[in-house]
Amino acid sequence: MTETHTVSPEQALVVEETGAPVRGFAGQNVPRKEDKRLVQGQGVFVDDIKRHGMGYAHYVRSPYGHANITAIDLSKAEALPGVYGTLTGEEVASLTDPFFQLSTPPGAHIKDYALAVGKVRHVGEPVAIVVAETRELARDAADLVEVSYEPLAAVVDARHALDEGVPLLHDEAGSNMSWSSEFEWGDVDGAFAEADHVVKISELHFERFNSTPLECDAALVEFNQGTGQWTIHTNNQFPGFAAIMMGPAMHTGLDKLRFVTQDIGGGFGNKITSHPQLVACCLLARKLNRPINWTEWRTDFHLTMSHGNERWFHDTEVAVKADGELLGFRTKALDDAGAYLRYEPLGGIIWAQVTPGCYRWKNVKLDFTQVVTNKAPCSPNRGYSRMQHLWFTERVIDIVASELDLDPVEVRKRNYIKAEEMPYTTPNGCIYDSGDYGRMLDVGLELIGHAGLEARRADAKARGKLLGLGIGSTLDSGTNNFGQSRMINPELQFSGNNEVATVKLDIFGEVVVTLGTTPQGQGHETTASMVVADIIGVTPDDVHVRAGHDSYWNSHAGFSGTYASQFAVTGLGAVKGAADKLAGEIKKLGSVILGCAIDDLELAEGHVRMKANPEAALPLMACGAIINANNAGLPEDLDVTLNARFVFRPNFEVPDVEKKYGNLTLTYAAQIHLAVVEIDPETGVYEVVDYAAVDDCGNRIHPQIVEGQVMGATAHALGAATHEAFTYDEDGNLLTPNFYDYHVPHAMDMPPLKTGYIESPSPFTALGTKGMGEGGGAGIHAVCSALQDALKENGKPIIYDSFNPYHRVWELLSDPEASRSRVTVESRGAAQ
Amino acid sequence: MRVEGEKRFEAPRAKVWAVLNSPEAMANTMPGVEGFEVQDDTHWTANVKIPLGLGGLKMKINFEKLEEREPEYAELSAKGQGVGAVMNMQTSFELVEADGGTNMKWAADVSIAGPVGSMGQRVLQPIINQQVGNVLRSLEQQIEAAP
Repeated sequence: MTETHTVSPEQALVVEETGAPVRGFAGQNVPRKEDKRLVQGQGVFVDDIKRHGMGYAHYVRSPYGHANITAIDLSKAEALPGVYGTLTGEEVASLTDPFFQLSTPPGAHIKDYALAVGKVRHVGEPVAIVVAETRELARDAADLVEVSYEPLAAVVDARHALDEGVPLLHDEAGSNMSWSSEFEWGDVDGAFAEADHVVKISELHFERFNSTPLECDAALVEFNQGTGQWTIHTNNQFPGFAAIMMGPAMHTGLDKLRFVTQDIGGGFGNKITSHPQLVACCLLARKLNRPINWTEWRTDFHLTMSHGNERWFHDTEVAVKADGELLGFRTKALDDAGAYLRYEPLGGIIWAQVTPGCYRWKNVKLDFTQVVTNKAPCSPNRGYSRMQHLWFTERVIDIVASELDLDPVEVRKRNYIKAEEMPYTTPNGCIYDSGDYGRMLDVGLELIGHAGLEARRADAKARGKLLGLGIGSTLDSGTNNFGQSRMINPELQFSGNNEVATVKLDIFGEVVVTLGTTPQGQGHETTASMVVADIIGVTPDDVHVRAGHDSYWNSHAGFSGTYASQFAVTGLGAVKGAADKLAGEIKKLGSVILGCAIDDLELAEGHVRMKANPEAALPLMACGAIINANNAGLPEDLDVTLNARFVFRPNFEVPDVEKKYGNLTLTYAAQIHLAVVEIDPETGVYEVVDYAAVDDCGNRIHPQIVEGQVMGATAHALGAATHEAFTYDEDGNLLTPNFYDYHVPHAMDMPPLKTGYIESPSPFTALGTKGMGEGGGAGIHAVCSALQDALKENGKPIIYDSFNPYHRVWELLSDPEASRSRVTVESRGAAQ
Repeated sequence: MRVEGEKRFEAPRAKVWAVLNSPEAMANTMPGVEGFEVQDDTHWTANVKIPLGLGGLKMKINFEKLEEREPEYAELSAKGQGVGAVMNMQTSFELVEADGGTNMKWAADVSIAGPVGSMGQRVLQPIINQQVGNVLRSLEQQIEAAP
């Protein structure tokens, strides 16, 4: 593990000839500002917030996967002493409009409210809410609510959601299909005509799971009857999106919805779509005229919140030359969105940020169809929609290598995009900013001891174990261009991206920063203070970054939040912009006070001073005092407030909706993971015995935070590869609704992690940084690849699912042919 | 979940039919029945405590006779409401006279929802089979004891 060390001011200001700090604090593991309060239990999470007279809300939920609601009887619950009140779907339908749908028809017609109205469409769907004096009383009262249902047949397999006679989830939509589109770039037919081999794969499946944040969703909502103002203490991680969804539904202006967050216990995308619950709390706070607390139970989170997209890939065909060059692929993607579209169908385009994965094939055809099923609604989950597609490209590489007897390392090296080709334009117009995938793979192979692999395999064999090495290369596309949403629905008026920060100098010269983001453990206060310190010429300890988000700080914009791997670009871009503005104003003030040109001045060691004569200096405290409390006699035209607000905007164009072409994300961090597994052929049980993760996210601001992200993402991936799945039976019952059945990896499950990195600075961002929070999927790809390598001696079975519990490995061992029946190879021309 | 089977009774069909169609007799065949109330000849309600491995599951079950062709065929529906479990069952049986006794062919479609339902088929199937076994055995005793 890297050792941490404190940074003295002198050491930080390494002055090169040019007089500017080389990189200042960036790149150093300064102690994290957040850790002291978190380690001492002084963090403020939503459930820590108490208010006099607050009510605790508990949901009454559907036991059925699909059923009509025939009656709701609240009388027994409302009669219980200590119950403050209730809310039902009818009330919600009378007080609010359905949430705005991003999709074109048929998805556009889906009606989605804060509570079920007339019909439930997945197990656990909220039907009513009871509010009481205590959390336990609310739960007991909820059991007294009698709801009568008329059960209906459930649709749980996306592959049959569009079959004849299958029940319709949303009558008003007229179909279980929510959205579909066909994508084609390059000369696909030409590629297949030219191919020496065509590898065909009938079906691949990416399983349904999510990221289990340590803290579930929660809210404490207060309503000011006099001003009509809601204050929403929440751990929602995309307040910009929540506001856009809640305002129109509640017929209220967005400024009436004040979002406040402080400490959040993990988000991973799973806390983007809690707007239905927030609307319910707002209605209750107004109706009962008291603060409302909602803290989600873990089982409710598993049953109803933010499942990751489950995705099938059918009729895949890959065009390959004899020498292993990959020309292109075509496939049909079938995405299972669950019962409602809360952020979908954006997943229908987000994968296109990484269409070719890490590879140089130019010809791609993908038909995308998304359906609704009687399962929990999907929401972005770490790696959202890119992970599914990158898993697919990596599976294709390994299956092609296996069927054509090529070395998976060589096929990758041969087809990886080369460093000298960067910035690289993909077939659909995305631009990979920088990277060297080949070198990263070499670093990984070195870390994992690839040279000794065969010896290690023989040793394992001697112990009766099957050993395999797997590679998982993944890209973490960061900083969305929301103009891609127009390829979902041309009428949508979203495009570009932004984030906001303010940096000010207080009366006594204290540097105060506010952010528009909602950090969930990524250490934004620390990295922001490092960037400000370098620009203002102080140390991170001198910079106070207010914790969390508050829309009243007015340092937010439409896309404010923490999601989609972008803080190091948009968040720090805003911080840098605001700090530069403040620095400029300080120098302007300094030039007036010290009577010299602005360019003669520098900011260093807490002063603005003349470069030529450092003695002629003005402490920041003096600057703050002059502007804030001693401003008589200043030139009238001196435009200096020492309070800088900056809106960072990445430089995007609106993509070409017709051709589905354009740059969809600004930066591309890369992660290449290698896993060594040992399988016990008797039982199918396997263990990851060695693991290497190599990361490239451009300039690293705080290496320890980057390592933390890589390790956390690896844990998510290893859990998804072996233990975690949301499995439903044919009636729509979730069979893994709590930690008894949904096994999240513990510390003991984690293999020894070796980490390595290279830094390919991004040419598109001010600090050369890239977002890097969502690249962890590589672990799933690596374990699948390793299992296939380990099993190759036993009839070359094909790994066709992202989720490989021990019993599936046992099935592959006992009947390799069953999996092989999915793959056929058509060889043509000289290779015949 | 579909459960079905056959059962032989050493008794004439009319006698088997009489027991099967008397709510009181049927009540006594129920595992852990605690209370019983007949609304009319096609509706009755039973309060039961089904002994499950992890403690009893209290349930109020409303029965409704859907179809009846005396003395050979009858179909029932049962809707059970308990804490943590909602049960829906559709069951039918056919009686055929054979060499001095009666062969009963029965079938049931059972769906259990709610937290108990989340235990899934692998766990619930053996429990249901065991309960069905108990019902059939006590049914046999009822028939033998009947006049």
